[in-house]
Amino acid sequence: MKFKEKFWFPIFYMFGATLILSAVLLVFGSFTRDRVKNNERLAFERSVLEALSIDIRGYAPSAVHDKYVQAIRIVNEQTPDILGLYENEQLLGYALPVAGPGFWAPIKGVIGIDADRRTIIGISFYEQNETPGLGGEIAKPFFRDQFPGKKIASGGMPIEFRMSATELDESSVHMITGATQTSTRLGKFLNEKLIDWRRRTTEGQ
Amino acid sequence: MPATKKIRDVVIDGLWNDNPVFRQILGICSALAVTNLVLNTIVMGIAVTLTTALSGLTVSLLRKWTPRVVRMMVETLIIAFYVILFDRALKAYWPDMSRSLGPYVGLIITNCIVMGRAEAFANANTPLPSFLDGLFAGLGYSFVLIAVAVIREIFGMGSILGIAVPYFSSSGWDRWIIMVMPPGAFFTLAVIVWIARTFQKSKAAWPGSVKK
Repeated sequence: MKFKEKFWFPIFYMFGATLILSAVLLVFGSFTRDRVKNNERLAFERSVLEALSIDIRGYAPSAVHDKYVQAIRIVNEQTPDILGLYENEQLLGYALPVAGPGFWAPIKGVIGIDADRRTIIGISFYEQNETPGLGGEIAKPFFRDQFPGKKIASGGMPIEFRMSATELDESSVHMITGATQTSTRLGKFLNEKLIDWRRRTTEGQ
Repeated sequence: MPATKKIRDVVIDGLWNDNPVFRQILGICSALAVTNLVLNTIVMGIAVTLTTALSGLTVSLLRKWTPRVVRMMVETLIIAFYVILFDRALKAYWPDMSRSLGPYVGLIITNCIVMGRAEAFANANTPLPSFLDGLFAGLGYSFVLIAVAVIREIFGMGSILGIAVPYFSSSGWDRWIIMVMPPGAFFTLAVIVWIARTFQKSKAAWPGSVKK
């Protein structure tokens, strides 16, 4: 095995090893591409339906997708970021995707708003990497259940995030104790979106 | 490391005598990061165990061909290959877990245990012992991490694997937020290392230890 001592052998070897292993990864990557894309789309669709308080617990992935296709569509072609919930051609609510920086990584979610354009139907998250047990609790029912029924305030903060154990009114929710950063950041980008929503809906009337 | 190490020694060293976490203090980064939920820890343990075992096997298979000067690059390449494969498989077949482990799966590439076993053992041993060496080093890592995670999840969240534990989940127990935060892992891990080493010492498994 004389060529093993040649100066070019390590370069050749490294090149060959990289080529072979990368090729295997590329094949596996393209083999799973559709699956991964499907998973991401499904996570979003699930989130939209949950934000609109549609019970999809126990639904198979294909059933979730069917439900989404049947009930959800863009309300107005000019504003593709606003989704509508329809039943027999009647508009029952809106779903607004929201996204912004969390404490560790971006938080992405959906907020559901009633056809009256003021009452919150629900909120859900399909991507977040906050600390489990602290910021990660935003995805848990005890936090999300605060939102249904709240009204977007007509002035000031649409939905105010207050310290826990303080009094709440119809336009405020409690922050998570121990997760001030996550709560503050979520409150910030959620309210930016809602201020934009409020401006658009009041102008439209 | 002698090349003629017995399989039995490989198993016992990986799990106990040379345990990567409490003997060699390797892999501490992920031990701190992923141990606040037991389920995440188990999946992380499986990922590290598989990576260490398979990369040990591959490094060993190639050991006669790999030029010395590029061996660490080749080892990194092999490790990265398995980690990317595992990460992609999680994304495709277990998206929820992939989301909750986030960047930590990718960071297995930099886990010192994996490279450590490739360098210290697989480089100089035949494939089967190398595979087993990686497997048991990985299992040794996993069981310590699971112990840390069980303690942290009970004290910090009052549950194990998401299932509520009596008393700790009641209102009578004030949850220790620090156990969910990274410092909680430091304290728990330190106590576990302390206990394990005290125990090792008393069994005189630690060369040079003084018997009291």
